[in-house]
Amino acid sequence: MELLLSNLAHGFGVAVTFTNLGAALLGALIGTAIGVLPGIGPVATISLLLPITFGMTATTAIIMLAGIFYGAQYGGSTTAILLNLPGEVSSVVTTLEGYKMARNGRAGAALATSAIGSFFAGSVATILVAASGPLLTQVALSFGPADYFSLMLLGLIIASVLAQGSVIKAIGMVVVGVALGLVGTDVQTGQQRFTFGIPELSDGIGFVPVAMGMFGIAEIVLNLERPESRSVLSTKVGSLWLTREEFRRAIPPVLRGTVIGSFLGILPGGGASLAAFGSYMMERKISKGRHQFGNGAIEGVAGPESANNAAAQTSFIPLLTLGIPSNAVMALMVGALIIQGIQPGPRMVEAQPDLFWGLIASMWVGNLMLLVINLPLIGMWVSLLKVPYKYMYPSILVFCSIGVYSLNNNVFDVYMTIGFSLFGYLCNKLRLEAAPLLIGFVLGPMMEEHLRRAMLLSRGDAMVFLQRPISATLLGIGAAALLAMALPSLRKGKDAALAE
Amino acid sequence: MKINQRDIASGVFLIVVAAIGLWLNTEHTMGTARRMGPGYMPWLVFWLQIALGAGAVLVGLASGPEKMPRWKTDEIGAFVGSLVVGFAVWWLLSGTEGFLGTGYNALGVGMLAGFLVLSISPGWRFLGMISASMAIFALLLERFGFFAALAGIIICSCLPERDHTKSPLGVLGLVAFLLALCWFVFIYELDIRVNLWPTA
Repeated sequence: MELLLSNLAHGFGVAVTFTNLGAALLGALIGTAIGVLPGIGPVATISLLLPITFGMTATTAIIMLAGIFYGAQYGGSTTAILLNLPGEVSSVVTTLEGYKMARNGRAGAALATSAIGSFFAGSVATILVAASGPLLTQVALSFGPADYFSLMLLGLIIASVLAQGSVIKAIGMVVVGVALGLVGTDVQTGQQRFTFGIPELSDGIGFVPVAMGMFGIAEIVLNLERPESRSVLSTKVGSLWLTREEFRRAIPPVLRGTVIGSFLGILPGGGASLAAFGSYMMERKISKGRHQFGNGAIEGVAGPESANNAAAQTSFIPLLTLGIPSNAVMALMVGALIIQGIQPGPRMVEAQPDLFWGLIASMWVGNLMLLVINLPLIGMWVSLLKVPYKYMYPSILVFCSIGVYSLNNNVFDVYMTIGFSLFGYLCNKLRLEAAPLLIGFVLGPMMEEHLRRAMLLSRGDAMVFLQRPISATLLGIGAAALLAMALPSLRKGKDAALAE
Repeated sequence: MKINQRDIASGVFLIVVAAIGLWLNTEHTMGTARRMGPGYMPWLVFWLQIALGAGAVLVGLASGPEKMPRWKTDEIGAFVGSLVVGFAVWWLLSGTEGFLGTGYNALGVGMLAGFLVLSISPGWRFLGMISASMAIFALLLERFGFFAALAGIIICSCLPERDHTKSPLGVLGLVAFLLALCWFVFIYELDIRVNLWPTA
């Protein structure tokens, strides 16, 4: 406990420097903006901003990128409440009760509930990250190559099991991602694989062109093809103050949402949207205001909003302790760390204490900033919504193009982004999820390395994965998760939970 | 039979990609399970992908009914035409002297030509023009400079949107605004290394 406090104090020392405060604020502002704006999400934004972070220290860069991620959770609820349009996937369920509240003239109260609930949940989850991080790290340090391989395999399986739609197609996309990760120079023999003699490919395919093409550009084309998804603001915000009655009703859902969210956030692939939905279902069943659901019940805003923010924070746990990304945004964080020369994994806590504790402290600082950014300044974000999409999409396109080019000052990256945007468009039409692909793409090279090492140590005996207790347990969990999805009742429950 | 065309198409897609991958992988040594060569992991990955693709096809035979939207004649024509024109232009230009033959410019002109042909069909309008605008950006950037490339990508990306073609003044305003903003962010603040104006 004392150690935790001194570590946190160290973290605050890092987070409250001028540069890092600025980075957190910048990240929170950008995150809120893209959260408010439908049509551009955190994945595209973070990949867009990666080149800009090259000049920063690793800690500052990660603090800013993390700010974008959780800032987007706050911003997404603003559009959900005011426009009935989820700015991010995780705020889909907020539209159900939040927009009704706005129609009843309580938009301000809904926004305030969502911001305060998110802040509370974020603070609790941050403490959870700080407390569990070093513990899990201790466990992870006893892992051998075989255990690592099984752990990554488990992560990929859970990410695909929890992805939207067909499990088999999601695993297929993970495998395509792993295959894309094979391109480049083989680390152990130096042989060029699948590079077609193109020098730019010998370092492998960059993840910025992949992420930007599939999540940024393809999204623009799809949005343009669906003109009905653009909407106009008509509701007034009204007073931000909650009545005493509303306040009392909001407290229990916030507490319950925090617990659900903290737990579900740790699971790979589940994260914020699953947490929000789980909390919504729970409130509709057990909360005092359940009879008001459908007519603007404050519980239906307070619970899910707390849950999705708690999940956003705890989804950092697998990344910081095991080096395994639990969603597409975390996959980009791995990329950002590797570019900075830091290998994410259990050694990070000891090797990079500034980064680890600074990031955790900055999460709390960032949540506090977001409370201020979102409540008194709500008018500013609302006016952002008045910018029509026809002006927005050329701007996004331009920023993406310059961002990709400045990565290596090479136009080849721009052409590659075009290629991946076509691929992303095709995947959308075939209902193949892009997020599992990105996670597979990032984990693929690490998995190959651990597989080779494990097999070398075991002299080519594949049974090593079942003989080591940790590895066998992890594989068992993975197999159980796959089997569970074969049960029709569970699958239906999942589909309902992730349906937009 | 409740056929799900999307699932079947996805499965076939996975299988085809993996088959090409396996074929390309034949030039890499496999090694043994103990000492894996560069070809071992790809071999594993692509066979897994084929299995999953086959699984998706099998599931697709019963998970429907779901139909893919049928392509109209002009959409098929534009699609085939764009492939033919794009690859032909790329092939003809690569290795030639001058601006169009250097670096990746032949690829860029090929892409641009292909995407323009694609966007003739109304159904492909947005996909074709947005992709074309990025190709224009990449083509213009190094030789004709930052500002020319930006103007190119903005104007080209605005063309498919009906709201813009009705008010060209709005597009000009957008160009002016984004040129100023991008100059400030990328050149003044971040100082990326790129020519601002055309070079001889």
